[in-house]
Amino acid sequence: MATDISNPVATSSCWSCGEMRAAHFCHACGRVQPPLPVDYFAFFSLPKKLNLDTELLERGFYELSRKLHPDLYARSDQQEQEWSLQQSSLLNDAYRTLKDPIKRTEYMLRLEGVELEEQSKTATEKARATGQIKKQVVPPDLLEEVFDLNMQLEELRAQKKLGEDDPALVEEIGRQKLELEEKHAALVEQLQTCWKAWDRAVDSGNDSDRRSVRDKMIDLLNRRNYIRNLVRDVNQVLES
Amino acid sequence: MAYSDKVLDHYSNPRNVGSLDKSSPEVGTGLVGAPECGDVMKLQIKVNPQTNIIEDAKFKTFGCGSAIASSSLATEWVKGKTVDEALQIKNTEIVKELSLPPVKIHCSVLAEDAIRAAIQDWKKKQETGKPVAAAVAVQ
Repeated sequence: MATDISNPVATSSCWSCGEMRAAHFCHACGRVQPPLPVDYFAFFSLPKKLNLDTELLERGFYELSRKLHPDLYARSDQQEQEWSLQQSSLLNDAYRTLKDPIKRTEYMLRLEGVELEEQSKTATEKARATGQIKKQVVPPDLLEEVFDLNMQLEELRAQKKLGEDDPALVEEIGRQKLELEEKHAALVEQLQTCWKAWDRAVDSGNDSDRRSVRDKMIDLLNRRNYIRNLVRDVNQVLES
Repeated sequence: MAYSDKVLDHYSNPRNVGSLDKSSPEVGTGLVGAPECGDVMKLQIKVNPQTNIIEDAKFKTFGCGSAIASSSLATEWVKGKTVDEALQIKNTEIVKELSLPPVKIHCSVLAEDAIRAAIQDWKKKQETGKPVAAAVAVQ
């Protein structure tokens, strides 16, 4: 029996009393259960939506963390201790991911089979195979901007090293930083619009809408990544 | 994670850093980026119009050590090759030469992209360059 229950997929009944189990505890006897291979939304019994009821998420998190805390299982047998530990760590991962709207979006895309880290490589392989020019995942105008600002940052870094930073350059970089922050805010706003559109497309089962919102979100996340890194670099140089 | 000696060598002594005249008809410019890490890479080639041989190459990369090393190596490799030969360079060869770990493969992808983008830019100039040159001659 022990080998059976160690595989969470193998059973949906409680390992202890045999009743139908819930995701974390058995309804009937209340014992902790091995984690089920479910997505983070299902882990919290939340609808799989990008517009998430964060209050509900928070409440679920606190409730479950109280009940799953490994300290509570200090005197249980080793298998139960391990399960509570696994459930707790899953709980933390799931909460952190769903709470942050950007991470939530990236996670949803991953559930859709989109590996953001793989896009560039996939596009290169496709370009090589077809002999076509690769479609850049980041638009050229943004790349130009990133490149030029990086050149200025490099200059400012060099100046700072010599202790002679040019106030005009500092001001210019500061101005661009403000612009970037505005752009960042606009991107997040556009993302929020996408969440609604995404949830709608999923609800209505409209696959072409779903694909187009998905691609839009990938594009927005890619741009956002660049801008966020750039603002971070600017801050580093300005504060150094 | 430790960088390989070759990465460190290119990183501390990058070859061919700089820029070429972007507006020259003999120069192709590729500007590419990887959203994974926020790196940007500019690679430029200067092609002899008679032989199609890449006579000079320059790069400037903002990114991690592996991205800098990949683009530095790319400029070394394309120099002396014809445009068509340079198009054969694959990111996997860069990975092998620099012993890049799996998490840094995208840096080599970026370098391959940059070579292709630069060549594409140069080719475009060759197609459109002739009528422009003729127009200038008429003036």
